[in-house]
Formats: sequence, C-alpha cells, structure tokens
Amino acid sequence: MTKIQINGREVEADPKQPLIRACHDQGVDVPMYCYHPGLAPVGSCRICQVEVAGAPGQPSRVVAACRTPVSEGMVVSTDTPKAHDTRRECLEFLLKNHPLDCPICDKAGECDLQDYAFNEGQGKGRSSEPRRKLEKRKSLGDVIVLDEERCILCSRCVRFFTDVTKKAQLTVEGLGSHSVINTYMDKPLEGNYQGNLADICPVGALTSKKFRFQARVWNLSKTLSTCGECSRGCSISVESLRAKQVKRIRPRYNAAVNQWWMCDTGRHALAPLTRALAPEGEVLGGRLRTAAVRGYNGLECSDDVAALDLAADMLASHPGTLVIVSPFATQEEAKAALALAQALKATPQFVSPAPNALKDDLLHTGDPCPNRRGLLELGFGALAPADALAALAVAPSAVLAGERVLELLGHAGLALLPKKLRLVAFDVEASDLASLDIAFPVPTHVEKSGHWINVDGRVGVLNVALPPPALVRRLDLQLAALTAKLSAVPQGS
Amino acid sequence: MVVVQRKELTLAERLYLPEVLRGLSLTFRKFFEKPITRQYPEQPLPTDEVTRGQPRLVVKDDGNIACVSCGMCEVACPAYAITIDGGETDRGIEREPKRFEIDMLRCILCGFCEEACPKDAIFMSNELELADFTRAGLVYDLEKLKRPKSALQERIDYVYRLNNRWRSKQ
Repeated sequence: MTKIQINGREVEADPKQPLIRACHDQGVDVPMYCYHPGLAPVGSCRICQVEVAGAPGQPSRVVAACRTPVSEGMVVSTDTPKAHDTRRECLEFLLKNHPLDCPICDKAGECDLQDYAFNEGQGKGRSSEPRRKLEKRKSLGDVIVLDEERCILCSRCVRFFTDVTKKAQLTVEGLGSHSVINTYMDKPLEGNYQGNLADICPVGALTSKKFRFQARVWNLSKTLSTCGECSRGCSISVESLRAKQVKRIRPRYNAAVNQWWMCDTGRHALAPLTRALAPEGEVLGGRLRTAAVRGYNGLECSDDVAALDLAADMLASHPGTLVIVSPFATQEEAKAALALAQALKATPQFVSPAPNALKDDLLHTGDPCPNRRGLLELGFGALAPADALAALAVAPSAVLAGERVLELLGHAGLALLPKKLRLVAFDVEASDLASLDIAFPVPTHVEKSGHWINVDGRVGVLNVALPPPALVRRLDLQLAALTAKLSAVPQGS
Repeated sequence: MVVVQRKELTLAERLYLPEVLRGLSLTFRKFFEKPITRQYPEQPLPTDEVTRGQPRLVVKDDGNIACVSCGMCEVACPAYAITIDGGETDRGIEREPKRFEIDMLRCILCGFCEEACPKDAIFMSNELELADFTRAGLVYDLEKLKRPKSALQERIDYVYRLNNRWRSKQ
C-alpha cells in the first residue's frame, strides 16, 4: 500500500489502481465518464481531473485521475478552485454538442452528465453556434439503439467489447467533430452481452430497446435480487413500476460472481415475471389465482384450506408418492419439500432440464437450474424431464412443487400421463392435464424471499420486488401445511 | 352583568301595519333594481388569465400533443394526482404519453405542474366545474385533458409575461 494525501487526509492507496479509485475508496467524489472500474482507463473525457501538488518549488499540476497511478507521498486535492475550474471547462466542452433532451432521454435521473451539470454546470450555454445534427435513432442490433447526438465519445462501449467480451464490435468512426460511434461495416451488434452497453453509457446515447420510454427511472423501485436464468446467479436489481410490473432487470456489482455485467437472457427474462392473472373465477388462461381442484367440469377454483385437506387425504390413500421440485425452488422451499418427502417416505428429486446452448466463457453457465448446487447439497436427486415423466407414468401419486415445474417437465409429455395418477401441483400456472387433480398457486421468484446457491457455492439472495397476487401464499408455508396435514392423517387409510 | 335597555316602541310601531308597509316598500323597490345574485349554472363566474382552474394539456397547432411524458409534473404534484406512462412515437420528439391521467378529486389546483413543465404542455385552464356520478369518471384521461392551444392562449401569454418579469429581475 502507498501512502498519499487526499484533500488533506492521509490515506493508504493500492498502487496498482489509478488515483480515481483511491479517491472513490475514500468517499471523495470525483466525476467520471470515460473511466469505468471494469474497463481499461483511456482518459478521453478529462472530467476526472484533480490537482496534484508538484515537487518543492514547482507549481501544482492538474491530472486526469483515471490515468494517473498512485505514487508515494502524492498530495491530491479534488476541491480546489483550480481543479473545479478545469473540470467545469471540460464539462462545457462536453455539453457543447449535447442536446437538451433530458425530458425525453431515458437516462435522465441516473445520468452522470446530468448530475454533474446540475451540480457544477452553468445555467446557460455560451456558444452561439448550432449543435451537431446527427442521427437520433440508430439501431445497433436487436437490443441497443444509439442516439449519436447525445454521445460524448467516452468510448466505454467500445472498450466493453474489447476488454470484457473480447470481441471488438464497436469503434469511433470519423475524425474531430465528425466522430461517431458505429459498428464495423454497419453490421448489427451480436452476442449475449449487448444490454450492458445501456448500463455503462454515462449519458443516454445507448439505450435499451426493450426499456425505451417504458418508465422514468426515479419512479422505479429497486429490489436487490438474484437472476434465475442460469446457475451463475448474477446479482441483479429488479426494478418495478408502481409495485405492479417489473420494468427492468439490471446487474449490480458483485466482485465474486458477475462483476458489473449480466447477459441479455437474464436481463430480458421479464415474460415469466409479468404473466397476467387468469380471468376471475377461472383456472386456466393465465396465472393461477387460487387453489384449484378437479371437479366434474375439469379444474375448478377452490378454497385453499379445503384443497389442502383433499390433497393430504389423496396422497395418504395413494402411497408411493413421487416428490419432484422445480430447479427454481429456494433453499427454504427445498427444506419444506424435504420434510414433505420424509412424511411421504419419498426420495426428493428436482427437474433438471438439459444444458442449453447459451453457455459462454463470461457468465452464462448454460445450466437452466439456478439452485442446482443448493438442491444437490440438500440431498435432492437430479432428474431429467424425460426420466421424470417415465417415473410419473408408473407412480400412484405425485407432488410437483415450484415455479414453472410443469413447464419444465413439458406440457406435451404431462398430457400423456395416465388419468389414474393422483397429481398435486404447486405452480404459477395450472395446465389442462387429465391427471392434474389439485393445483396450488405459488409466487414467482421476484415475489418471494429466499436463497439460491450458485454454481460456485455462493449464496444468492432473493427479495420481494412485487407483492404476490392476493391469495397466493409462499410455497414453503404451503408445503409445511401439507406436511402437517399428512402427519395428522393415518397413513395408508 | 350587562343590562340591555329595551327601546320603548312608538305608537306607529305599536300599530304594526305602518311598519309592515315600510318593509314591503323596500321589497318592491328591490324588484326594479339590478339583482346582485347570479343564476349560477346558466351564468358562470367570469374568469380571466389569473384564474387557476383545472390543468389541461396543450395540443399544438399541428395536431400533436406538446407533452413528451417526461414526468416532471408527476414529480412536482404535491397531491400525487398525476400518473403518466410514456411510449415511443414516430415523430421527431420520439416520446409521447400513452396514458396521462389526472385524478381531479386529488388535484388541488396549485399549478405546480404548469410551473414544472419544461415543454409548455400543461397549463391551468379556466375550467373549474367538477361533477360526476362516479369517482372513476373524475380521473381524467388523455382525451378529456387535451385542449387546443388557442383555448389556453390567454393563460399561456400570462404565464410567459409573469416568467419574463421574474427573469429580468435576475
């Protein structure tokens, strides 16, 4: 560690990190646009300039904190008039061609340029020349749209592809004031990590097509959670509007798992979270609202206590029950399923779909089971969907529990199961199966709290981002209630 | 203790009839004078540019709404009366409201939305009446809020005049 002085305070700094990191670690605010802790520093925006005292008898210098290494005895001031003036001049140049788009811009509210201009900028521009007129809506592939006018040419996006995904796709085209960001040969962007560009862009130049104009960012409630699209379990922030709908999923920094990044598969996995409820009083055609029991006319809505009694009786009178949980089951739910399996003298198992083709070197593991490791550690057996269906075909009764368990087993395969199978399912959506006798609704993984264990054995936390629908109770409580009812019913009666 | 001395009535007053006639004469005189009351629903109160009635959205002369759904009025509203959902449009402005609702039962006519708007899209109109048979009917949507610019011009000019006076003092 190196000893330096920041704003009159003696601090220790890591000599391998640039000066700006030492300042940020000490809670000293230094603005940054082109610098990103996950990317190589280039020092192109010059907004991070700070004053460094010169050698004795020499005047002090203003240096870019992102490109200056920390050296022993350095005396740094970020708050002097000289540092402020230099930064303010840089800001004026950056704003010279930046349109006054904030009311329209999706970045407004989380924009570094807006924040710094608000704190330090002048109320009025001094330039009388018109601003650059460039393309406002340039599509860069399926995920990202570029607004060339808003771009301040920090080149974070260019470096994201060279430094993180290691496949250069963007470049700064043209010279001087004609410079714009573009892909090579105008080809659309490829890969599963394009969405990160919208996050790292310090201004609103690169915005997400899916989120474009969907909400103002200050209206979004952010909940810390974990991504469920693969067994990596990236740390995410689930951002919902008016406690009704998840509008956006963004990565949050986790040094051990995903750093600052996440894949587009996880980022755009909003469809399972925004499914509409089934019409009032109906079981099919959307998310399950209440418990449902098979009557003369198929599945009918029922009171959940009555349905639970019925399920306990049914399982007790059909011994040899299979207990299969979803790979989305949290540790808490898995523990409850374990107790249920013990009460039913069954071997606990979980559905383990085949790895998908999304695996890459960066984050995606290709394994669609977010809690595989946790379930294996609890003693669950992994069961491929085909094997699960084969086992179900000969079983007298079965409990399928967890978010999307029916979907992962395959509706086509489930439809072929014999009618004599007594099937109790806990899932977000019921299915019109001849063998499905009782169904209970469960919350999705943004509507419950719990823990998943990722592929490296790290615990990912789930928090409640949205309130679950009115009559939907936690799966672990429902399973515990069923277990309690089963122990009250004499076995084999 | 206060002792109130009751005035002795004169003979004419005690006779009663002269006083009744005196009172009726005033009543009949007023029949022919200009009335000071107003036939309210038929004759509404006069309004002028200073009247701060219900907020309305400006529809520009080209037929497009001036609002870009930036959400500034939503934030400024102290009564949480405004709800906006934006969306993309093919126009050059890129963004426009897909849903813009003002709950008129919540609105306190403070005019903060008018002040916050960066696009001159919302102004306090001279419309003050508010009645319906349901609460839902008083949550005004985009169609109920839109007004041509000409209908709000008087207020727009007033706000500009006011702002300019404030600016010149700076």
